[in-house]
Amino acid sequence: MRRRLLGIATLLACALLLAACGEKSEPGAGAATGGGPAEPLRLMLDYFPNADHAGIYAAKASGAYEKAGLDVAITPPPDPSAPLKLLLAGRTDLAISYAPELLLAREQGAELVAVGALVQKPLTSLMAVGKAAIRTPQDLRGKRVGTAGIPYQSAYLKTILEEAGVDPGSVKETNVGFNLVPAMLSGKVDATLGAFWNYEGTDLARRGRKPVIQRVEKLGVPTYPELVFVARRRDLDEEFGARLRRFMQATTRGHEALKADPAAGLEGLLDADKGLERGLQEAVVKATLPVFFPAGGERPFGYQDPAEWQRYADWMLEQGLIKQRQTAEQVVTNEFLAGEGLDPGTLSQD
Amino acid sequence: MQSETEAQVASPRDVEAAGVEIDGVDVSYGAVQALRGLTLRVAPGEIVAVVGPSGCGKSTLLELVCGLVEPDTGRVRAGAAALMPQRDALLPWLSAVDNAGLALRVAGASRAQARAAAQEHFAAFGLAGFERSRPAALSGGMRQRVAFLRTLLAGRPVLCLDEPFGALDALTRLQMQRWLAGALEREPRTVLLVTHDVEEAVLLADRVALLSPRPGRIVELLDVDVPRPRARDARAIVELRERALEVLGAP
Amino acid sequence: MIAALALLALLCGWEALVGFGGVDPLLLPAPTQVLEALWEDRSLLAPDLWATTYEVVLGLAAAVAAGAVLAIAMHLSPVLRRALRPLVIGSQAVPVPVIAPLVILVLGFGLAPKVLLVALVCFFPITINLYDGLRGADADARRLLRSLQASRWQALRLVEAPAALPAAFTGLKVAAAVAVIGAVFAEWAGAERGLGHALLTANGQLETARAFAATLLLFLLAIALYGACALLERRVVDWTPRTGHGGP
Repeated sequence: MRRRLLGIATLLACALLLAACGEKSEPGAGAATGGGPAEPLRLMLDYFPNADHAGIYAAKASGAYEKAGLDVAITPPPDPSAPLKLLLAGRTDLAISYAPELLLAREQGAELVAVGALVQKPLTSLMAVGKAAIRTPQDLRGKRVGTAGIPYQSAYLKTILEEAGVDPGSVKETNVGFNLVPAMLSGKVDATLGAFWNYEGTDLARRGRKPVIQRVEKLGVPTYPELVFVARRRDLDEEFGARLRRFMQATTRGHEALKADPAAGLEGLLDADKGLERGLQEAVVKATLPVFFPAGGERPFGYQDPAEWQRYADWMLEQGLIKQRQTAEQVVTNEFLAGEGLDPGTLSQD
Repeated sequence: MQSETEAQVASPRDVEAAGVEIDGVDVSYGAVQALRGLTLRVAPGEIVAVVGPSGCGKSTLLELVCGLVEPDTGRVRAGAAALMPQRDALLPWLSAVDNAGLALRVAGASRAQARAAAQEHFAAFGLAGFERSRPAALSGGMRQRVAFLRTLLAGRPVLCLDEPFGALDALTRLQMQRWLAGALEREPRTVLLVTHDVEEAVLLADRVALLSPRPGRIVELLDVDVPRPRARDARAIVELRERALEVLGAP
Repeated sequence: MIAALALLALLCGWEALVGFGGVDPLLLPAPTQVLEALWEDRSLLAPDLWATTYEVVLGLAAAVAAGAVLAIAMHLSPVLRRALRPLVIGSQAVPVPVIAPLVILVLGFGLAPKVLLVALVCFFPITINLYDGLRGADADARRLLRSLQASRWQALRLVEAPAALPAAFTGLKVAAAVAVIGAVFAEWAGAERGLGHALLTANGQLETARAFAATLLLFLLAIALYGACALLERRVVDWTPRTGHGGP
């Protein structure tokens, strides 16, 4: 009698166990509106919360993620190289990073993919302050330029100089690390390459330092999206893909709200970091709005032009920054962006 | 009114438990031989002074008796011994009364019990009023008295005193010698007194053991057959002192 | 007195330098600007000060606890001493700015990694000083205890531990002075609050005066911590160390 009870109990336990396991493997019910708990999504920023992230914080503050059934956790990175590392380690679901960093990581074998552009155009710029400000690349001849010591940014400088017909040997490049602005203000360098025109540029202008800004894509560097959302290829199954799509939709709405009323949309960001100064952040948001959205208004928020990506990747190859050719189909996908009837450009399998 | 631990002290008449027998003992530290073939018997209740040049192994002898060191050869039998180290070894963070009661605390008494036991003797030791003082506030002589009280309160039949007055100035030393003589009369114990002061040895001890330079052994044993209290200038004392110095090879 | 006057002179010189345009205030703000920022941003900096203080105090406490255990273990067991001493010394050589991101990677962004990093910075001075203090206890006192048949534990409790207190406090004071550095590096590696974090954010927005104000607070925090430890030392180590023997 006892043995039979034991047998039944065991069977019951197994059945329950199987049921529990079974539940997990089911694709998550797309709880877009009402019904079902919010699904988690961990996003890691590229840097401390700043105006570049205003749209994301606007989406969060306005409840757009909640409405999309998402519980989005936004974390700043421990250090600039961390987002992709943590993404690979599975410690975050989505990371914001830079186009060249993504290509470099992929060369190391990282199976990462750009699933959307946060900022459409380069923000990196050639910047100078002071009386003898550098106005054209030709002015750089015989001068000293400060960089952050990042190889691909040094390559931007080289390309710019070549495009302008300036002998790169005549320009002294100095590594000033993160101290681009102090280096400029102190006059220790004549110009810097690496400061963001929307951020440092706006900040210096507001303080009356009259910065002279030249955007790199106008000087011969192939254009690229400065900030992109990156995910692990193997995460992009049906379930996560659905979550990602909802995320991009809600993020789009956040950016649209930001465009409609920058001051209001900013609240989310300011709540995230009390040390941010409202005036500056608002000015930066306004300056960045044009490049949050693709030009022309036809493509959805986050769109990435495969042709642009390809030109950039090829440029990196030419410069010796990567050793193997990478194709846009391998690196980029638009299939998770908002909007119907869009040609996603099927993601090729490596 | 004695504390319990003190009451357990064997009476000095009990040879086994209160005397010291050292037979043909060798002690070496590595390559250095401190004692060689040393033999000494101390009867219960007897005071033996040990005198010799520096480095002759006097401290080692005391450590032997206290059981801190094992002989390489030979045999040591002694009653339970309490050591009074060369420098008073008073703990600077404890008050005088707590220092005095240290042995009782180690034996398991509570702080209050140890303090009470020690406190009783403070007046007799000329330390009245200084119970709560820290060692730093006491004079050299007072510190030695606290250390001696501590040694006594260990309740052991044998006392090993290692140059107890070595660091005191001449005047204080004289006072302390007189004091010690009186204290030992009130509380007789078996005493091994190491000193470099020949006169002190002759004034305090029943017998004086003279040690050779290292490796130490007993060169001569002098009987001090002089009734107490003894005077420094008594002829017998002076003669004995001269004899000792002669044996030790002083010029 | 001289020190105060010298400091005052320095501050006046600094103020003048900036006031007369000798240096860009975005690079080096004048002392008055720093104090102004300290006052204006006080609602911002106060919670940051509290957060960093919390991290530092917990980290110090953790270092004291771990250091005490290890120092005593090394003191009692020669085997452990041989095994652990290189590790203890090595802990000092670990470059905190390099380790900090790794710790954050493993432990996340909460309080734990910051406490751990502060503890790491404080650990060596505390442990090594306590260990040396334990070893340096009066040899005669130890011999005395042995002759009284005291147990190892009694020797530790009655003689070695109290004798080690002065050295232990030296270690604690050194640790208190550098603990703040550990907290700052930990915050730089990933935090949402704290003076180190405030410093970074302020720098990122060219709010140099605020950054200096945060630095000033860090400096004052370190001094306050050191002072607190020194005060505690005076309460606990209330005996004078051994000098020579006196008179009668």
